[in-house]
Amino acid sequence: MNLLAALEQTALSVWLRESPTIWGFPFVLFLHTLGLGIAAGLGVALNLWTLGWADRYPAAPLQRAFPVASAGFALALVSGLLLLAAYPTKALTDPVFYLKLALVGAAIGQLEWLRRRLFDAASADRPACPDRSVRRFAGLALALWAGAVLTGRLLAYTYNYLTAADLLP
Amino acid sequence: MIDAWIEWMETTRLSAAMLDTRWMWPLAEAVHFAGLVLLVGTVGLFDLRVLGLGRGIPAAAIHRLVPLGALGFVFSVATGVLFVFGSPDQYFYNAAFRWKLVFLGLMGANAAFFYAVPHRALAGLGAHDDAPRSAKVCVALSLTFLVAVMFCGRMLTFFRPVGGGF
Repeated sequence: MNLLAALEQTALSVWLRESPTIWGFPFVLFLHTLGLGIAAGLGVALNLWTLGWADRYPAAPLQRAFPVASAGFALALVSGLLLLAAYPTKALTDPVFYLKLALVGAAIGQLEWLRRRLFDAASADRPACPDRSVRRFAGLALALWAGAVLTGRLLAYTYNYLTAADLLP
Repeated sequence: MIDAWIEWMETTRLSAAMLDTRWMWPLAEAVHFAGLVLLVGTVGLFDLRVLGLGRGIPAAAIHRLVPLGALGFVFSVATGVLFVFGSPDQYFYNAAFRWKLVFLGLMGANAAFFYAVPHRALAGLGAHDDAPRSAKVCVALSLTFLVAVMFCGRMLTFFRPVGGGF
């Protein structure tokens, strides 16, 4: 609680919460949306490709989409840390926040696994032919991303305390 | 004229359902974002191929993902309509909403042009062929407008014309 209050009093946290321009908190929210759009979007698209088309086309050419997804994830991560700095109590006292982190972590982990297992290992000119475990995890990944988006969006509604002051009896 | 629309929308059952049903608005938001993710990811991957990333797979093959993105777009538009019905006064007089409609219009016009002209050339391209410049320009515009739509959408809450609502 003291730690949360101290975090909320840092200059960065105060500026993010109270800056009246749209280039503070609103812009960070936009960057988070853009980052998640790129990371989750490519995560979903590459898994859909794995399920629907990877057995007909070589996979190696799509390796280059993974760094783009990573850049999107980095953007979502940095902007997410800023959002956390703005309202640490709001996120850290909400169980849904931890569920979201777990879902995002699992989805990102699957994407890295998919890259190594299918796209890096694939021949440049023959179809990749994903095996059953690759297909199963690709299907699971779609559910993980859906869950991550759902829980992330719900954070605006499920929190119990907005700032450390709300924790006082 | 706009006020008449707003008044009518506020009397609809849909509007009441959006405001009075617990979790309806948050769940619609989640679907709105899931649709966005599906659109950005599938169209984005196709756009990257047209721009030259991922040569070795025909652009037309990656385009098979785009109908799924269109489905995502339908979900986003449908839930977007729900929000407008829920709080019409918060949208019609909102500058961010108006700009969002402008960029959606530009996105649609650009997509219409893309399918009318450069897309036809893509069908005949081989796995390693570079896309024509007209297709690349279209695709770059499509990504720009998409980011602009997301930016305006995210700014909506910070341009509320009157208190309450959302």
